[in-house]
Amino acid sequence: MKVNPDLDFIKYMKSAGGDALKKCYQCATCSVVCPLSSDTKPFPRKEMIWAQWGLKDKLIADPDVMLCHQCGDCTAYCPRGAKPGDVLGAIRAYAYTHYGFPSGLAKMVSSAKNLPLIVGLPALIVLIMWILSGGMHVPSAEDLARYGFGHFFGHWDWPWLTKNVAFIDMIMVPAAGLAVYSAYRGVSAMWAAMAKQHDVNAGYRPSVNQFVQQFLWPAVTEIIQHNRFRECKANANRVTGHLPLMLSFIALLFVTAYSAFTQDVLGIFFPSLHGPMSMINPVKIVANIAAIALIFGIGVLWSNRAAAEAESGTTPTFYDWFLIYEIMAVGITGLCAELGRLVGVPVLAYFFYYLHLVSVVMLFLYMPYTKFAHLVYRTFAMAFEKYRASEFVTK
Amino acid sequence: MDKKYGAYICTGCGIGEALDVDALVSAASGQGMQPKTHEAFCGAAGRQVIEADIANDGVNTVIVCACSPRVMQDQFNFGDDKITIRGNIREQAAWCREQPSDSKSEDTIKEYYTEVAQDYIRMACVQAKKTDMPEPFKLETMNKRILVMGGGIAGLTAAKEAAKAGYEVTVVEKSGALGGKALGWTKQFPTKAPYSELVAPTIGALVAEVEGNAKITVKKTTEVARIGGAPGNFSATFKAAGAKSEWDAPAKVGVDEQDRIAKGQMEDPNAGLKNYMEENPDAEKYGAVVLATGWVPADVSAFEHLGYGANSKVVTNAEFEKMVKEGKLAGIKSVAFVQSPGGEEHDMDFPYCNSVTSMVALKQAKYVREASSDAKAYILYQHMRTPGNMEMFYKGIQQDDGIFLTKASVTKVEAAGNGCVVHAKDTLLGEDLELDVDLVVLAAGMEPTTKHEATINLAYRQGPAFLDLDLFDGYSDSHFICFPYETRRTGIYTCGGVRKAMNMEETIDDATGAALKAIQAMECADRGVAVHPRSGDQTYPEFFFQRCTQCKRCTEECPFGALDDDEKGTPKPNPTRCRRCGTCMGACPERIIGFKNYTIDMIGSMIKAIEVPDDDEDKLRILALVCENDAYPALDMAAMRKHSLNALVRFIPVRCLGSVNMAWIKDALSSGMDGAILLGCKYGDDYQCHFVKGSEIANKRMDNIGETLGSLGLEPERCAMEQIAITDYDKVPTIINDFVEKIVGLGPNPFKGF
Repeated sequence: MKVNPDLDFIKYMKSAGGDALKKCYQCATCSVVCPLSSDTKPFPRKEMIWAQWGLKDKLIADPDVMLCHQCGDCTAYCPRGAKPGDVLGAIRAYAYTHYGFPSGLAKMVSSAKNLPLIVGLPALIVLIMWILSGGMHVPSAEDLARYGFGHFFGHWDWPWLTKNVAFIDMIMVPAAGLAVYSAYRGVSAMWAAMAKQHDVNAGYRPSVNQFVQQFLWPAVTEIIQHNRFRECKANANRVTGHLPLMLSFIALLFVTAYSAFTQDVLGIFFPSLHGPMSMINPVKIVANIAAIALIFGIGVLWSNRAAAEAESGTTPTFYDWFLIYEIMAVGITGLCAELGRLVGVPVLAYFFYYLHLVSVVMLFLYMPYTKFAHLVYRTFAMAFEKYRASEFVTK
Repeated sequence: MDKKYGAYICTGCGIGEALDVDALVSAASGQGMQPKTHEAFCGAAGRQVIEADIANDGVNTVIVCACSPRVMQDQFNFGDDKITIRGNIREQAAWCREQPSDSKSEDTIKEYYTEVAQDYIRMACVQAKKTDMPEPFKLETMNKRILVMGGGIAGLTAAKEAAKAGYEVTVVEKSGALGGKALGWTKQFPTKAPYSELVAPTIGALVAEVEGNAKITVKKTTEVARIGGAPGNFSATFKAAGAKSEWDAPAKVGVDEQDRIAKGQMEDPNAGLKNYMEENPDAEKYGAVVLATGWVPADVSAFEHLGYGANSKVVTNAEFEKMVKEGKLAGIKSVAFVQSPGGEEHDMDFPYCNSVTSMVALKQAKYVREASSDAKAYILYQHMRTPGNMEMFYKGIQQDDGIFLTKASVTKVEAAGNGCVVHAKDTLLGEDLELDVDLVVLAAGMEPTTKHEATINLAYRQGPAFLDLDLFDGYSDSHFICFPYETRRTGIYTCGGVRKAMNMEETIDDATGAALKAIQAMECADRGVAVHPRSGDQTYPEFFFQRCTQCKRCTEECPFGALDDDEKGTPKPNPTRCRRCGTCMGACPERIIGFKNYTIDMIGSMIKAIEVPDDDEDKLRILALVCENDAYPALDMAAMRKHSLNALVRFIPVRCLGSVNMAWIKDALSSGMDGAILLGCKYGDDYQCHFVKGSEIANKRMDNIGETLGSLGLEPERCAMEQIAITDYDKVPTIINDFVEKIVGLGPNPFKGF
């Protein structure tokens, strides 16, 4: 292997939480404690020396780096204080930016100095759309009680698509679409890099069906079950945070889908379905529980992270905290908007609803470039692991 | 001195129960003593008994038959004007008894071990009779100036420290400037907390301090032609560096060579040089010498796959240091530091490397980085050694983004374009590496100057250089554990790179130690006592020259070159060079060498004092002459730990097996004893002998005596030698039992009773 260390990459990792990476002296304590490590791949010992040597290409094509769920065992046990867990986080942060499309947007989201832009851009878009929609006014308490936020972007009588939904779609669909496209590109690039690095010469490719059945779906199930999380020792509490958080995302996805279906499809035929859902509607109950689970989950992760920084010297990074703040913002603004609606204070309700829309846009739009990207990269890295060990590759 | 004896038999510590005290008393009486008994002579009341005899009866030779001479030394010290002899009836009789068994009743065992103790009491009485009061040897003129050879960090520090202690020092430096290798350094290792960064060289301050010190004389561009004499009275002849002189140290000419030279079959290697015994009237006098001539970079051209010599982009660490000093790093953006040349064959570092070369690589990597912010330095090692606080230095250097470390087998260095490609296998990165670099730096080792030349240039009978240099790759022999600074030449101490590849901090410690050892040697010489390892011993070998046959065995065998000789070969002793091991005494076939308290006659008489029953086949008698440094303590320890020692064996401690004169073996066998065994230290390249050669020489002598015995009709197997480490206390009883069994198998000595 021709080796030419990338000094800038080392500088980046050091600035992004891996400040202690040069301290590693290859004792392999991390590999002993890491549940991901095996006899043939001393993870993350080898990754640590690659990082010290600035071997960027190897690291961003390393499935193990993506599979690491930052349990912190390695950092807790490292006798040298090299904080391998944080180094791996920094590498992932770099990889998300590297694979992100468009790269300008990916780079923008990777740095705290761009925070005004990161928040300002979605805030401006939502505001402009609100102004453009003409629905730009605070409703009366009665209207709020009757329509909920259904008339946030105003109202028209065209039965096939409400104005509100049309505007929300105009914001969210491009944002989510870009995110999905970017994630697709990123995952493909990562997959190709991994395949190249691991010298995968598959005799024949799995069909989409085979791929989903044999690799993707088992990976997803494993993720949902949190099996790997449970192997952590230093931060066992993370399951308590991550599991409700993940389940709440799944529940909210379901609630959103249900809401869209009832309001925008069935609503065409049964106009009474428009407007806020009854609080005793089972779906609404699920939604509220999910909202609370989301806030609870991210709260646990928040305090874990703060504790790790205080106790074991984990470096605070924008990469980690941005996602925590972002999810917390989604949860809190959503809940406040709902409370404002239920209590009947239109100004507050609308204000929080606006913030909620902004935070959701951020979540969608920035998904492929922030820590949220682990959602796809990690899942596909796990699928790649399974693929690599499968008969498609080994035979 | 008119001796007045007082004998004391202690019955404490279980001696009274284990042995028949009346029989012990009668053994002493048989030697003409009237022993007193007490249950604890080491206690205040017991001591009172002895002190009262000293005060009232004028007892001046005290025979204490109690515990081992290795313990209770303060309790049984009655002053320098008294002779004290110890008989070991506790450890080696009362405490080492066998357990009663079916074949041996309690009474039988008591009888056997009482006989053991009786013999020790008889021997102690005889020893007391044969011991004289020592008189320290005093030089006619005593010099307390120290000669320091070499003006590098080691030499300058030794000079500075000796001067600080109040001694006058002369520093001899071959080159035109003081400072040595340190003058070429751009930066040096840290010597104080936090130990993480390179620091500016401090050699200038040290040089200034030495040059400004009124107690220190500096001689630059000067070399030592020869050093004659002995501690307290060395005479050093100087010459201009590189010049030839008639006073250059002559090569050793052995007996055979002398014959061949006389017959014209060989050229005299010392033609034109003054005889080694001749004294230069212009020579300067010194009391001790510190050798700090340092090291030279080792040649690395033998490792062809690395291309040194053929490829101009491959340099040594010493050459790289020079490049940096001369500011020739321009355009060098990547450097590979190769620490180990073995490729895939082995993981050894370059010869004569140790932690220093590891640290030099770390330092020089930092030079590369400091020269240019986008430069890269690779360190490819098999071993990264940063002992002690230097671990912090390693950590500090490791922090640099552009310094890349990995364990690796460097298999090849190829020239490519303006630089080189370094190929490495078995790396920590999990893959073979190919590195494009502008320069490759090889970690050449540090060879001691003693590897290449005599260096110390002694005018000694045994030659100008240290002995057995091959045994330690050219480093002068010393005892690594027991006495690290000492060389095989008393009063001459090595420090710094000539003693071991070491860094500056180690060198400073080392040189300070050597200066103190030099002072100690001079002060001991002044007081007429041995300096080491028998520190404070006032005795020294005395020769009865009228009977000397000029056989030269003593001059040849002395491990420390203490003996010179004259034209005829009569030995000329230098007592201040002597370490009092007695190897000369063991060597002398005429038995003319002895110490005041240790003579051939004394031990011979002690052997003859052992009672040998000539009609009891069960009671064989076996003599064991035991090195008092390791084997004798091992026996004591065996007894303390309740191992039993065979009751047929009588142990006599000796200064060193080298001092064992074969006359003693003949004495033992002719007095009817059935076998003789020597217990001494390990010898060979990992020797443990305090006197370096004693046990090895004894082994050779025992081989020879075996032949003599054979010619007398005695089985050679009756004599043996075993190597015992001090930690072998658990094995030594078995070793002895095995030997006894062999003797029992051979049967009694046929000469018994004659």
